[in-house]
Amino acid sequence: MPITKLDQMLDALKAKPKKRMVAAYANDAHTIEAVSNAIELGIIEGILVGSKTEIEKVCKAEKIDINKFQIIDEADEMKATYKAIEVINEGKADFIMKGLVTSDKYLRAILDKEKGLVVPNAVLTHVTVIENVGYHKLLVVSDVAFITAPDIEKKLVITNWVIKIAKSFGIETPKVALIAGSEQVSYKIPALADAAIISKMAERGQIKGALVDGPFALDVAIDKESAEIKKVKSEVAGDADCLVFPNYESGNVFYKFHTKLCGGELGAIVVGAKVPAVLSSRGDSVKTKLYSIALGAMNA
Amino acid sequence: MPKAGSGMQPITSLDQMVDHVIRSGIKKKVAVACGEDQNTISAIFRAVKSGFAEAIMVGCKNKIEQRAKDEHIDPSIFNIIHVDHPSDAIDKALELVKSGKADVLMKGLVGTDEFLKAVLDKNKGLLPPNAIMSYVAVMQIPAYHKLLFVSDTAVLPFPDLKQKLAEIKYCIKMANAFGIEKPKVALIGASEKVSPNFPNTIDYSAICKMAERKQLPNCIVDGPLDIFLACDKKSIAIKGVITPVDGDADILIFPSLDACNSFYKGLMLFAGAELGGLIQGTEKPVVVMSRSESENSKYYCIAMSCLMA
Repeated sequence: MPITKLDQMLDALKAKPKKRMVAAYANDAHTIEAVSNAIELGIIEGILVGSKTEIEKVCKAEKIDINKFQIIDEADEMKATYKAIEVINEGKADFIMKGLVTSDKYLRAILDKEKGLVVPNAVLTHVTVIENVGYHKLLVVSDVAFITAPDIEKKLVITNWVIKIAKSFGIETPKVALIAGSEQVSYKIPALADAAIISKMAERGQIKGALVDGPFALDVAIDKESAEIKKVKSEVAGDADCLVFPNYESGNVFYKFHTKLCGGELGAIVVGAKVPAVLSSRGDSVKTKLYSIALGAMNA
Repeated sequence: MPKAGSGMQPITSLDQMVDHVIRSGIKKKVAVACGEDQNTISAIFRAVKSGFAEAIMVGCKNKIEQRAKDEHIDPSIFNIIHVDHPSDAIDKALELVKSGKADVLMKGLVGTDEFLKAVLDKNKGLLPPNAIMSYVAVMQIPAYHKLLFVSDTAVLPFPDLKQKLAEIKYCIKMANAFGIEKPKVALIGASEKVSPNFPNTIDYSAICKMAERKQLPNCIVDGPLDIFLACDKKSIAIKGVITPVDGDADILIFPSLDACNSFYKGLMLFAGAELGGLIQGTEKPVVVMSRSESENSKYYCIAMSCLMA
């Protein structure tokens, strides 16, 4: 049975050998709590790289048993981050999570050509998995944060990633909707033409293992009735597993609207490096952090 | 124009097209600018004799009469309007068509550039504002089981998406007039694969999606396809490509004029193909023939123009 709720990721992970996650510069309560939480749920093993003194302080204050972690003592922000990456490169952990290090520095370290986590020409993509009460299953969406104005090549990368993530949920043939403002194709609007070419590539077997169609306005992608009213004939319309947004602004508005005004939950990871990278921010809810870690573990 | 679809059998050869024009009782007035050469006079004479064309010859009366007599043609079969200069002949012929006194404009012994410039002129010309001028050729190829409409052999060097769409619409309109209700349109490339590195394949994908979304006239469209996949069922089986055109294309849209032009000339030279062709996008049909075309082809062009007028 495919996973249709974020919580089901936890059950799926419990049934599998535990993945090892390393947290980079894990000096703060937010990170330590999130890792602790995931360990308690039995979905990962956790390695914290950071100032041992600080970590001990936090654990004491938050009444967290420090013995559940493996701790690598490194008090410097950048050194701790690079150490965490080294742990991955040595094969001692399966995926990475951002701690108190700023996102900029974290990503710069990941992208570092010599010591980082990328192969040449790697394209990092941000993938978010959304659970909304108004929809009958999860939605894998991208790119809402990273690739600001993807060209066709980047959209193909994004498309292939959402397919891969959806498959990790047990969806055999994910349905990918390429989102734009309309389902009518116009040469004046690049998003519409890009969607047309990507769906043609899928038709020619140049994108494998998924049903890819677009352009769609959002309503046609996720609402069967809208698809019927607009007479759009497509296996994807109204039943999408994945949404590929034409640019990061539209994707960002979509996911923030979901979390802030719909009270929805999500998990998010950055893919495209050697291992998944969790990039949760302090503003994220406890659940979002947990789901992001779970998503990382699912794809590690 | 006879309406397609009402049980009309699809026309599969150029001679059938001529028969259809004759049997339908079509009779159109063709204004010939500078029809002073033997080539033009012979072709238009044949059309007049067949009964589907009336010729209004605009040019030097003496020359027209003399050339006709050289060809043993009685010049009284033509309605001759005398003008002194070739440029006046173009203007006068255009005026006849524009005012409705003639149905078709045809080029005689006058430079193609000068002729088309006049046709494109905003005031006296025949191209509506923002219309796209293109050329559709209908090819009869002995090795193919039906006629093939190809575009653009002559006007648009590198059609962009908007121009490709215009070409498709013109071809469909013409195929409809030939009794082909739902033509199969193949968008031609070197392979069936889509790649952002090949801009034409981007255009083609957009066109296919537009057809899927019912933004095009009634037709079946697919591309990119190479000529084999477009016109040969065996290749479809070998390559295992699933395409609704299915090796049975009626219309081929080429990525560039060079490609289309080479295609048609190659077939005429090496494969015994015949052709009729028309300028498209104009208010009334415009016949432009090159001197190197066979007499048959010229006759077919005139018949087609009368069919489409």
